[in-house]
Amino acid sequence: MTVMTSTPSVRKVSVPKTWDTRMWQFMRWSGVLLIPLAWGHILIKDVVIGVHDIDLEYVRREWATWYSFWRIYDAALLAFAFAHGMNGLRHVANDFIHNENTKRVVSWAIWIAWFVISAIGATAIIGGVR
Amino acid sequence: MATLINTLWQGLWYKGGVGNWSYQFHRLAGLGTLLFLAIHIVDTAFVFFAPELYKHAMEIYRHPVFMLGEIALVAGVLYHGMNGLKIIVFDFWPHLWNHKNEQRANILIYVATFLAWLPAAFIMGSSLYKHSILPLLGGK
Repeated sequence: MTVMTSTPSVRKVSVPKTWDTRMWQFMRWSGVLLIPLAWGHILIKDVVIGVHDIDLEYVRREWATWYSFWRIYDAALLAFAFAHGMNGLRHVANDFIHNENTKRVVSWAIWIAWFVISAIGATAIIGGVR
Repeated sequence: MATLINTLWQGLWYKGGVGNWSYQFHRLAGLGTLLFLAIHIVDTAFVFFAPELYKHAMEIYRHPVFMLGEIALVAGVLYHGMNGLKIIVFDFWPHLWNHKNEQRANILIYVATFLAWLPAAFIMGSSLYKHSILPLLGGK
């Protein structure tokens, strides 16, 4: 990190575009996006409709209407929320792991879990209700 | 063992005060939501992989203990979102950040989370009452 200018109030730095820089940015952008996506999802499913009125038929109907709008909505939620959460878990884990090798192993384990569960979810969204 | 406990403890408490609590709540809400989300992705995927199991999963969702958990989850997701926005605002507009604004924002977020959560908790609580408690009382 190179310090370019330095004033008492604002310090400008140039940040190298590393993997972690990109993940830092991803956390911000996905975070903003998840406000309507996640809050909307919970508002509709848990508050307006409620778990007692959600069944296979409900999901089938929802995914079939509106040119698959809700299917795309769910896909976006899956893509952004789960990656945001797993990267957050990686951050928390890194705070407690001080060994570089362990850190690497745990990070890989987290990304593999992210990939496997995301693939399961994506397959179901594409495959639809059976 | 003592080192491990020390490491864990120091990872939790860095300075104390409102900011430290917000940091704790943010992580707790985030990790709790992630745990729920991982389970939720898999059980929703049952619609494709095992439709019979999806029915069973929905029965679990309708269990009163699970419904209480969902009411807590709503508080967590509301808090995590609002506190996350605070972090984004202070990160992208650093001139807005100072200790006083940080403190004010944290308190404001506690209040706003509570106020936004109340109506949701009331509606979800009513559903819990109607579906799980009323039948026990012999009502319909």
